[in-house]
Amino acid sequence: MHHPLQSVAWWAALLCLLAAPWALGGSGAVYSAFVLIAILAIMSYGLDIIVSDLGEVSLAHPVFFATGAYTTALASARWGLDPASALILTIVASLAVALLIGLVTLRLREFVFSLVTYAVTVVGMTLAANWSFLGGSDGIAGIPVFQLFGYAARTDRALWPVAWLFLVLTIYLVSSFRRSRLGLEAMTIHLNPKLATMSGIDPQRIRMLVFMVSAPITATAGWLYAYQRAYISADVLDMYFLILMLTAVVLIGRRMLAAPLIGVSLILLQEKFLSLGGYYDRIILGGVLIAVLSFLPRGLSGVAIDTYRLLARRRSAANS
Amino acid sequence: MNFAQQLINGLVLGHAYALIAIGWTVLLGVARLVNFGHGQMYMLGAFVTWFVMAKTGLPYLVAIPLSMTVGVAVGYLMQRTMLQLTIKQDLVSVMIVTLGFGHVLEGAAALFFGSTGQILDTPLSLSNIYIADIWITWQDIAIILVTVVFFAGLKYVIEKTELGRLIRMVAEDPKLAALAGIDIQKIYLGVFAFEGAAVALAASLVAPRTPILTSMGFNEVIITFVVVVLGGIGSVAGSYMAGIGLGLFTAFFGAYVSAAYSTAAMFIVLIIVLVIRPGGLATRPGGH
Repeated sequence: MHHPLQSVAWWAALLCLLAAPWALGGSGAVYSAFVLIAILAIMSYGLDIIVSDLGEVSLAHPVFFATGAYTTALASARWGLDPASALILTIVASLAVALLIGLVTLRLREFVFSLVTYAVTVVGMTLAANWSFLGGSDGIAGIPVFQLFGYAARTDRALWPVAWLFLVLTIYLVSSFRRSRLGLEAMTIHLNPKLATMSGIDPQRIRMLVFMVSAPITATAGWLYAYQRAYISADVLDMYFLILMLTAVVLIGRRMLAAPLIGVSLILLQEKFLSLGGYYDRIILGGVLIAVLSFLPRGLSGVAIDTYRLLARRRSAANS
Repeated sequence: MNFAQQLINGLVLGHAYALIAIGWTVLLGVARLVNFGHGQMYMLGAFVTWFVMAKTGLPYLVAIPLSMTVGVAVGYLMQRTMLQLTIKQDLVSVMIVTLGFGHVLEGAAALFFGSTGQILDTPLSLSNIYIADIWITWQDIAIILVTVVFFAGLKYVIEKTELGRLIRMVAEDPKLAALAGIDIQKIYLGVFAFEGAAVALAASLVAPRTPILTSMGFNEVIITFVVVVLGGIGSVAGSYMAGIGLGLFTAFFGAYVSAAYSTAAMFIVLIIVLVIRPGGLATRPGGH
């Protein structure tokens, strides 16, 4: 977003997005779908900076999502706190969890890193399903309506501007991160570890910091999700969220600011409006993930670019 | 809770863990590959065995090889799909692709077998043996025997035969192996097919111990991680010992502390090992 023209284009696109559910008829189902797209896109952006910038695959991100959802459920339904306090608690809690996971996995790379982070998610799931403090298998019900500064979001239509605002903030944060010193150092470690060491970059410190940037983003999605659902259980740690995040991050192409948002939108569009039933949707989502990584390593954008270049070459050949 | 009974339970469980993990041990240590769909392949193996016995009435001894055949087919198909990633040694992508396969397998299994739990009863699991106040089934004895024979056979093949030598060579340096005229694609496909067969065999033997659900794969893969990591990645004898140690740990932890948290406890063990001995995680290509 650093080029002025790009910024204008981005703002125009984001404002169109804000008005889109209204333009599409404004039914409750459309607003619900848009709120969910915003939530799951925010969740995916958290993972995106780990996968695209740090070059590692964290499978622990469902735990950050759940941390946000559970913290909010506890803060609002049990302790009667307002959304702003719940958000602060969510960020603090996710930073604490990220610090813990980060410390354990600091020296691990590649598949061992992924393996341990996957184990974190499975343990998180058994913990959420069994620990009575987190409601055990019943979960936590009775999360009140989102109400802040006199604005009450009783329906998804009223929650949509809030979800949109946080989506915009997330995109801005990710874009600033990519231009920041930390973001550049993370990329250096990812693309050229030797150069990073020679430039005096401490890989472990950077990894930890990137983790600490990523976790609150995904946890904020959990915060919004709790208000949309009004009920939270161990289902927030379902494999579905992990597969969805991973697919959204790789589907369009890596290190493209809009990619996770477009990825999530395409997936949710299929699930909400072209669904073939839960189990078939699962096969489709998994199948897309397999196909993209195995056959289209640069994502759909890579295919689009190649097709465009091919057509351009043909046209110039025909002209000459 | 009787101490001797827990000891027996732990030993049976330990052999079960080792058998479930053997496919991964070979995959990771010998061919430097990973499979996050391992748990769902275990689930599929259990359901195919159940389906063959319950719906067609064929005997257990026929159901096992059929289940293993399906395992071979799934393993082959997975590796066929991601062969380019494997040859590039893009482990991170291989990992996510196998995770995707797990997701697909779970959806497909729920469609085909239904999402309700089933009980996989075999002639062996229904015949009990009582020695004083200790209880054990023939199924438990079969698990121990098959695991011991399988591990001994595998160790022999990897260390002593021509095939084992080729596999270790591919693991050590795939490019050099290819230059030396080894068909590395065939080795990778074969190793994955072996993983499919091994986990299906483990499922046919171990799954009768508990009710089976199409969603159970998620948990199963953790046990495998812990066994493989504790055993020293790629070590066949190491994962046998790690399996037994972990089985004993789970049995006693479940009996004296809490059964619900035994997976979490297992994970804590893994973390402690990682923090104390990060060197134990160094992949030794072709290690045995």
